Amino acid sequence: MTAYVVPLIFLSVLFLSVLRKKNAYSAFVKGAESAVGLMVSVLPYLLAVMMACEVFRTSGASGVVADFLSPALEFLGVPGECTELLLLRPLSGAGSLSILENVFSVYGADGLIGQCASVIYGSSETIFYVSAIYFSKSDVKNLRYAIPLALVATFLGNIIGCNLCRLI
Amino acid sequence: MSFVWLIIMIVSIITLLFINPSAVLESLIQGANDAVTLALNLIALYGIWLGVFEILERTGAQNALARLLRPIVRKLFSGESEETEKYISMNISANLLGLGNASTPMGINAIQSMKPNEKKPKKATTNMIMLTVISATSLQVFPSTVISLRASSGSANPADFLLPCIVATIVSTAFGIIGVKVISTIEKIWTVRQEKIKLIEARTSK
Repeated sequence: MTAYVVPLIFLSVLFLSVLRKKNAYSAFVKGAESAVGLMVSVLPYLLAVMMACEVFRTSGASGVVADFLSPALEFLGVPGECTELLLLRPLSGAGSLSILENVFSVYGADGLIGQCASVIYGSSETIFYVSAIYFSKSDVKNLRYAIPLALVATFLGNIIGCNLCRLI
Repeated sequence: MSFVWLIIMIVSIITLLFINPSAVLESLIQGANDAVTLALNLIALYGIWLGVFEILERTGAQNALARLLRPIVRKLFSGESEETEKYISMNISANLLGLGNASTPMGINAIQSMKPNEKKPKKATTNMIMLTVISATSLQVFPSTVISLRASSGSANPADFLLPCIVATIVSTAFGIIGVKVISTIEKIWTVRQEKIKLIEARTSK
């Protein structure tokens, strides 16, 4: 189903430009031009976040923190095997995707652990990444309560999602 | 943000110092390399989407979408220009469709074009926080990445987790929106009270 979304968007955009007699080609080139400048301002933030995530993972510190937190999460209904995924999901999309893959290959995708891991990955975003990138072109450097609130909200959603998996 | 980054870096480097000191630079370079690779891929992806969005802009479709979503956008974000409202509606629609790479450039534009905090320009306004929280709590209703990964991992029913997942997505975003509204209301009441106290103090000191 989702496979059709992008082709349909592209087709309707192109037909629309014909209908309105606009030059689609020159508009596309003009828009695509801004991608390079955008990336130049985004790259430093990308670098900082991904570097920290990689060193956090290879040092095993994320595993230690996960082991420390998993009893509390078990109590709330989140399987302990999903703790590291829960911890790294807000930091890095690629990093947490490889953890999700690992969970699937060790515990299978269909059991409770696999389901909870799917819910955690599927219902959350890379919070730190999104927050850093969104403000990359703005002068604002203090995001105030944006990140803590997003983290708490996501955590709450994850707990409810995992408990629903237990019920179903 | 800067605090969390600092803590993660310090804790990880200290840990590695005891286990495997040469891995510090290795993993930093690995992460930085991944970032550059991702950045190159993103230039391509952003290029495609920004190109498509420019066509949409010239055909007037962006304005039509903004008009359509205006009632919702105005409820969540008050007092922004029509241009910002347009970026916000593009950002939210792309997020809902699960096109994260298409929504990010629009999110950046929206934050950049929002009115700054007059007294403290370095601090985020309520509207900026609202957009960040909405995007960061995930709006994606149909997580296609997870479904395809489950399918390739031999799941009997790859879409089995969808119901709890959608509930979790809705709960987190709703909690985020309500949270921003509650906190900003408390802030407003607080500043009004502070100003009143100052006024009374000024009067009594006379």
